[in-house]
Order: sequence, then structure tokens, then C-alpha cells
Amino acid sequence: MPSHEPTAAERFINGIIPENPVYRQLLGMCPTLAVTAGMKPAMTMAAATAFVLIMANIIVSLIRGLLKPHLRILVFTLTIATFVTIADRVLAAYLWEMSKALGPYVPLIIVNCLIISRCEICSSKQGPGVAIADAVGMSLGFALALASIATVREILGAGTWFGLPVLSATWWPTWGVMMLPPGAFLTLGLLLGLAEWIGQKKKQSSA
Amino acid sequence: MSETSPKSGYLRQAWLVILLALFYGAALAGVQVTLGPRIAKNKLNETYEQVPKIVPGADQTKTVPRTVKGEVDGKEYSVYQAFSMGGDHVGWVVPASGQGFADRIDVLVGIDAPLETITGLYVLDQKETPGLGNLIVKNEEPDDFCNRFKQLQAEPTLEVFKDEPPPGSNGIRALSGATISSKGVANAVNSALDNLKGPMGALPDRPPSEPAAPTSETDKREDD
Amino acid sequence: MDTLIALIQIAIGAALINNFVLYYFVGICPFLGVSRRVDTAFGMGCAVTFVISIAATLSWAFTYFILRPEAPLPTWVWETLGGDPGTKVDLSVLSYIMYIFVIASSVQFVEMYVRKFFPPLYKSFGVFLPLITTNCAILFACLKILAELQDPEQLWGLHQALTLAVGGGVGFTIAICLMAGIREELDMCDVPKPLRGAGISLIVAGIMAMAFAGFAGMDSGIKDALAMFLK
Repeated sequence: MPSHEPTAAERFINGIIPENPVYRQLLGMCPTLAVTAGMKPAMTMAAATAFVLIMANIIVSLIRGLLKPHLRILVFTLTIATFVTIADRVLAAYLWEMSKALGPYVPLIIVNCLIISRCEICSSKQGPGVAIADAVGMSLGFALALASIATVREILGAGTWFGLPVLSATWWPTWGVMMLPPGAFLTLGLLLGLAEWIGQKKKQSSA
Repeated sequence: MSETSPKSGYLRQAWLVILLALFYGAALAGVQVTLGPRIAKNKLNETYEQVPKIVPGADQTKTVPRTVKGEVDGKEYSVYQAFSMGGDHVGWVVPASGQGFADRIDVLVGIDAPLETITGLYVLDQKETPGLGNLIVKNEEPDDFCNRFKQLQAEPTLEVFKDEPPPGSNGIRALSGATISSKGVANAVNSALDNLKGPMGALPDRPPSEPAAPTSETDKREDD
Repeated sequence: MDTLIALIQIAIGAALINNFVLYYFVGICPFLGVSRRVDTAFGMGCAVTFVISIAATLSWAFTYFILRPEAPLPTWVWETLGGDPGTKVDLSVLSYIMYIFVIASSVQFVEMYVRKFFPPLYKSFGVFLPLITTNCAILFACLKILAELQDPEQLWGLHQALTLAVGGGVGFTIAICLMAGIREELDMCDVPKPLRGAGISLIVAGIMAMAFAGFAGMDSGIKDALAMFLK
């Protein structure tokens, strides 16, 4: 049965909301919970993940003709680990404070299921152009997801956004729990519920 | 793809992995060579940048790293000897670490040259409770936590009091709601000073002829 | 005696106080995915603990002897090949690649072992056993060990690394079994439709994280208590 392979534009739009890595695919939860205490670490993590995702997709797409079934996961992992090391070193060299704040979560990008699944689903089967579009779309979706959670956590937890004061400390008692692990879980759970609810409402109105 | 025997099939597949491994290895080696020195400098600068702030009169570029063997635990530690612009020995910076409420707390203690009076404190790393324990990093106004260590004596052992320290005692007032974090910092300072004060006192008072202290303005020195 | 107390501190720290799932946010995918029934959750927890121990041992060995700055083996090779003895040989840039291969191999080994000796268990795991490779918890344990090995004042031995790994695995097992027990109960409750599945699990995890936060500060007291007790 001939299947319609998604075009570059379709892949790109897909990644942002319809197949959002966090809200729809439930991938990459570990960094989503860990680095979203503030917008700055969240966006740095999104940038690092985007770098690894895009580069890995490009390389895998270029060598997709040579990949054999047995070894492809090995090749994906090797490629991803290399780019994560590069991203980690670059961060340590140029953004030392942020690198310390992100700590072990940058190397954990290696086991972020999102990247391996994109390599498997898209770039090992389609050309570089589509692969890049897919990677960029997914990265944007990931960044959007991280931003949504980080915004809630940072504004409620510290009254700031990107470090700039938003809610004056005099009338908003900062919700310390938002900066701690429980706040991360609760925020993500409730936002997931919200996303589900919006999705179901859309389905109802279009049905 | 034509049917080849499994063995040569695996061999053909393996060459791709080996080629990739070599290529990536070279890329990583390149990254290490170009960025490695910069990263090491960042790490050292964390300490060196604090030296003038916690030892009054010290010049960052004149700081000399030393290694001493602790008299309590026998392990080797790095300490930093601070000199002024004119070359006078103005004090020491001792890295200390101890168990806080949540995890380890790493601090830098500034102490004067005769190893008697504490001149400053800087918290390098901590994971204490936001809003409570993590206020130990504050060192701005006259009374903020780090500044409470100034002018304390190295002997007798530092204590932590819930309210104002009684006159004549050698201690600090704990952060309200964060007694354990405050005690963690004090314990770190105490154990480091107990362990290293003796060996540090035995070190020479003059810098060696070529102090090898990196500074933050290294772009002029790098020849890339 | 000091070593024993330090090991107990590491173990309790990894299992309860800084629980891998509820404090460090690693291992969330299986935590949400495999925790529907307590027996499968317990099996997954045991498998993860097993893999973590093997992976931690191997990565400790590789890092201590080969990958850390000034490690003995590369230094010896460098000097034998006639290099300048003063240079600091640093292969740590290869750490992450090394760790992920160690983990993949450990999972492969455990898979073969389980398939040979516990076939029904192997069947019930299905695709989740190979997926342990992408379990952040294992790589996280290796990274923690790396951090301690790069600090010349800490320089963990195998005993500390293994304690951290097993403690972390046990903590993961505790968390996942608790979550499974709660979800078994939740199946009979009327959860709002948008929250069913991942949403409510995360909210439950948040409340569990709050409960586990009560363990904080325990290790600063453990040392004194144990010192008194073991005197």
C-alpha cells in the first residue's frame, strides 16, 4: 500500500504542536522536569538539544543508504554521543555558569528518546532537507514545551522571567515549591492535562 | 543489495562504524585541544576571581597555588596564597567543603597571613533549599550571611548561634529557618582550618620567582 | 568505620534523600510507562538495579584507569611510546561515548541472561528490557561517579561507586513500586478525562516528591547517630 511520505513542510509543522515531543509524544521528560526552574537554563537546554538533534539528523540522513538494520542503533548512538560531547564542551568553555547549573543534564541528552526516535523514524529514511525540517520543527516544539513549563515555574516560584522581575515580591509570596521537584511534577502534570483538554475540545468542535 | 555470506556482510557493515568512530574521534580530539584550556581556565577562575574579594588587598594575578597535606586526614589539598600588588603576603584562600542540609556545600574561606582572623567567605557551590538555605550565598550588605564570618577567629572552633552571638564568643548568627545549612558552612570552615592551618603555617612567606596564576584577561596571551 | 558510615550515607542519600526519580528526575519514562502493576514494576526495578550495578562497575573501572585526567593506563602508554613524561594525559572527552556503550553492553548482557534463565520474565518484559538502555537513571549514575572521580580530593573507589549505583537502583525500585501501587488504586477512581494516564501520574509523582522531601537533612544526622551507635 503506497504511503504518502511527509514532506519537509509537513514534518516541520508536525513537530511544533501536533506531535509535540513533550506534550504529545511524552519524550524527553527528564530535562523537561529538571532544567525548567528558570527560563535561562530551559532555553540553554533547548538550544543544546536542538544542536544535537539537527546535526544528528543531518549526518544520519547523509549516510542513510549505508545503514544496515543491525548496526543502525549503534550508529545513531555514536553520532548522538559525539555531538552531545561537543555541545557540553562548548557550553563549559563559553557559558561556564550555565554549564554548572545544567550539570549532568546536558550529557543526558544522549538518552533523550526524542533524538533516537527522530533518527529512526525520519532521517534514516528521508533526505537531508526533510531531516533538517523535521529536526528544526521538533526542536521548536521542544523549546516551546520547555518555555511553557519554565514560564509557569519561574514566575510563580521566583516572580521573575529570564531573571527579570515580573511579579513584585511585595504582593506575590513566591511559591518555593515551584522551584523544587514537586513543583516540576505538578506543573507538568497539570499542563499535560490542559494540553489534552484543548486537544479533545478541538476534536469535538471539528467532529 | 546482493546476497553475500553473513560474515562478509558483518565486515562490510563494520567498516562504516569504524570509519565513523575514527571521524568522530578526530572531531572530539579537536574539540578537546581547542576548548580544553579554556575550560580549565574557567574552572580556576572561579577561585581566583574571589581572591581579591575575600582577602582585602590581594591582587588576583599574584595568587600562588600551593598543595598541603592535611594533618587530620593526611590527604592532599590545594590552598591559595594571596599576595598584594607589591608582593606582600596578605592572606590565604582555603577551599572547604562540608555536608549541608541537602547536599555538599563548597566554600572558599579567606584568612589573614598569620592564619588568625577570617577575612571573608564565598560559597562556590550549594544545593540548599531555595529561599531558605540557599541564602548562604548572600554577601552584599554588611550583615548578609557570608559577611558574618568576617573578623572571626580561626581558634577556638566557630560556633553557630540561633540569636546574636554572646559577647566574647567566636561564632555567627544562623540564618533564620536554615540552621542546618548555616552549621554546614561553619563545620566546613572549622574542619578545613583544623586540618590545614598547621601545614599552611609552614609554607614560605614569599612567592616563588614565577607565580603561575592565570587571569581572566588571557586573550592577549593565547597564541592561536 | 568512617568508611562504613560514609557508605551508608551514600546509600541512603541515593535511595531516599536524593531519590533518582523524585529528586533528580531521571528514569521518568519507565516510571510513567511501566508502573501499572506492582509485580511488573518490581521486576523492572530489579532489572534496572542489576543493569546499574554492572554499568557502574564497568564505567568506574574504565574511568579510573583510562578516562580521567592523568589516568594510569594512558599515561603509561604515552611514556612507553616515548612521550614527554610531564604532560597530563586526558582522555575524558571520550567519557560519554564510553558510558553509553558500557550501558548498551550491560543491557545486552542482562537481556541474554534473563532470556536464558527466566524465560517467562523475559516475555513479560517485552520491549522494555532493551529500552533500559535509554533509561536516564543508569547514565546518570555513571555521570555522578565521573564527577566524583574528576575531583582529586574525592576520588571514589569502587566501593563508593557501587554503593551509589545499588542505592540509586533500590531508590528507583521503591519509587516505581509505590507509584504502581497508587496507580492500581487510581484505576478504580474517577480521574478527569484530560488527566488520565500521564497527567495524573505526574501529579501523584509530585505529591510523592513532596513526601520524599521529608527525608532531606537526614544524612547530616545519620553520621552523628551512627558514630554514637557504633562507638
